[in-house]
Amino acid sequence: MNGLMAMNHESLRKNLTLWMAAAALFVGCDSADPPKFRLNMTQMVSTETPLTPASQQEIANVLGALFGTPDDPYAVPQAGLDLSRLRMAAGAAYSDVKGTNHGLYRRHCVHCHGITGDGRGPTARFLNPYPRDYRPGVYKFKSTYNADRPTDDDLHRVLINGVPGTAMPSFSLLPSSEVEALVEYIKYLSIRGQLETELARYVYDEFEGETEPLLDENGEEQLDDDGNTIEQRISFDPANDPEQMEYVLELLAGIVEGWDLATERIVVPNEEQIPADDRSAAEIAASVAKGRELFYGTRANCVKCHGPTALGDGQQDDQDNWNKAHKKFLEDMAGAENQEDINPGVAATRPEVVASIYPVRNAIPRNLRQGIYRGGNRRLDVFWRIYTGIAGTPMPATGAASPGAQGTLKEDEIWNIVDYVLSLPYEAPSLPQRALPVNPEAVN
Amino acid sequence: MFRNYLKKSESSDASRLSKTCLLMLFATLVSSGCQQNPDLGPVANVATFEQTRTAFKSGSPDEGAGSAAAATGTGWATIKGRIAFEGAPPVMAPYNANKDQATCTIDGKAPLQETLLVDEASKGVANIVVFARKVSRVHESAQPKTEPVLFDQKECVFLTHVFPMTIGQAISIKNSDPVGHNTNIEGSNGFNQTIPANETVDFTPQKAEAIPKPIRCSIHPWMIAYYLPRKDGYVAVTAADGSFEIPKVPAGEKIEFQVWHESGTGPGGALVLDTPEAKELKWTKKGRFAVTLAEDEVREIQLTAPASAFGG
Repeated sequence: MNGLMAMNHESLRKNLTLWMAAAALFVGCDSADPPKFRLNMTQMVSTETPLTPASQQEIANVLGALFGTPDDPYAVPQAGLDLSRLRMAAGAAYSDVKGTNHGLYRRHCVHCHGITGDGRGPTARFLNPYPRDYRPGVYKFKSTYNADRPTDDDLHRVLINGVPGTAMPSFSLLPSSEVEALVEYIKYLSIRGQLETELARYVYDEFEGETEPLLDENGEEQLDDDGNTIEQRISFDPANDPEQMEYVLELLAGIVEGWDLATERIVVPNEEQIPADDRSAAEIAASVAKGRELFYGTRANCVKCHGPTALGDGQQDDQDNWNKAHKKFLEDMAGAENQEDINPGVAATRPEVVASIYPVRNAIPRNLRQGIYRGGNRRLDVFWRIYTGIAGTPMPATGAASPGAQGTLKEDEIWNIVDYVLSLPYEAPSLPQRALPVNPEAVN
Repeated sequence: MFRNYLKKSESSDASRLSKTCLLMLFATLVSSGCQQNPDLGPVANVATFEQTRTAFKSGSPDEGAGSAAAATGTGWATIKGRIAFEGAPPVMAPYNANKDQATCTIDGKAPLQETLLVDEASKGVANIVVFARKVSRVHESAQPKTEPVLFDQKECVFLTHVFPMTIGQAISIKNSDPVGHNTNIEGSNGFNQTIPANETVDFTPQKAEAIPKPIRCSIHPWMIAYYLPRKDGYVAVTAADGSFEIPKVPAGEKIEFQVWHESGTGPGGALVLDTPEAKELKWTKKGRFAVTLAEDEVREIQLTAPASAFGG
């Protein structure tokens, strides 16, 4: 540094300017190009639906028409989304003269969840657990049955509470209108992502690799010199093909229906079986004891994954759906390396997509001794986790899978387990209880 | 100007240090510009939006545009055949049974995987699924059934490895083990529930699938089975000797059949063949072939599949 000081003031200034200019050139001016939605490349180059770049472009165009861009969202009427809320959440983040905040998604969410809601923002790679990828439309902490979508309230609750034990913070300091705008935008990204997957399957199943005869202006098949029909690639263009458009609308309706139905699929605990607030210590202890038996039993099977002392050291070889899909993708790509007849556009992109996948992580069952409950620490939250399981993860349901279906445990038994689980962090470490195997040979 | 700067600070140690610092800063700035998440794939072409939006706003398209496969025939036919393995049958490795070994292993040995079952005598390949993709009419015998399908698990193995069903049937998920399982069904009909020891839980899928979907257990992650819910009964799963039969398919119309195996190398597990018999059927890269059957015809298909079709 003495060398720098030794230089005279004039040359220092000139050199610094030079270095800063060079630095700016190399860091790049990202603000020149507006951010764009990107395709779900693991789907587009997968072995399940390998789509040529031409098909990918067509799908991107249709998605853009139906949902707009990050700066200019669009709500196709059939999606049932509130465009004014989307506009609040979309676009560049800034505050106007009145102090209204714009671009809420980019202000609060994009750095982890990514511009497309794919959970691949700039910080995502360094977080454990990875930020949620909204595109499958699967959410872990909700009040609805395992296979159903979350309600708006569920998403609202996650934004207000955050997800304790993860990098997802609470946004309870935001005005409720802003939180609602973000909830709408998240649903928008989910519906868009779900439709993208359905379109990829549809276009691959029906059109990729197939040809149709080239027709002239009169609608008759054109023939080449040998009298054979000239075959052309079938393009995916619902704007000009009523049958395709009808099918796309059908796909969209199916997706939107799932979201609309969510409020009817809330698991409402039976009033009579909800434990009273004024139970005596003895009653609570009895419930905890019953819960403990169930925890170690062969009906709820909690001990199998959460471990004999509930530290989460049971079965750790499984993954959640998001990581499982990446694991399968990487295996498929390794297997497809020697395949012939792959479209060159797909073959060229595959190594890049493989390189961009974050390391696959196993789903480690929750350590129940810490008292950190990601989905909320109310008794009702823990009840929902046990009743409906956690969608997208190996955690199974013990209640009914749908209204009227057959559950594994009765509701009062689930409340017993809730009592036991909530008591676990308070077991004195100096007086640890030994693991209680009901079937000693079954616990290993 | 550059050269002057370099020459000026050549002499002293301190100035060499400052040059190194600046070079390191330069290098950091260059490398931080490198993308961690490369932007791959095409982006939407904004010019196409307007036309598509107008088309979608006008709502439903012309009537009659979305008709099913044009019905042209009467009567019914049968398609049957056999799929045999070409080459030495593979040896199945045991599952990695790392939980509940008392129940899941016999004398310390885990059960063998079922990813490619080839019959020793006939060389037939079992558990290949052949099904019609779209038909215009369905015979009485292939209409959706009502009775439940039994799906049992014992010694930590699903007893039915691949099974078809029709929408409207319930799956009776049985657990014949002394330990608990949770049955986790993937695909459009999500289901993940604990099945207590020696009990049965019913589940009724609501949506048909285009290709068989996996069923797993999270407690014993090596357990795997596949199921295919469809709207009609035109599905056959090859028996141990590789034979299959789909009776009463509609005659007089072009029916596309999808062929699938869990180890198939085609999209989603499709079985892609390019043997002469397969080429005769115009077998596609998606594991499909199409036939038009005459009324009361019994079409027989004999196929051989090399190890490479199963990822070997």
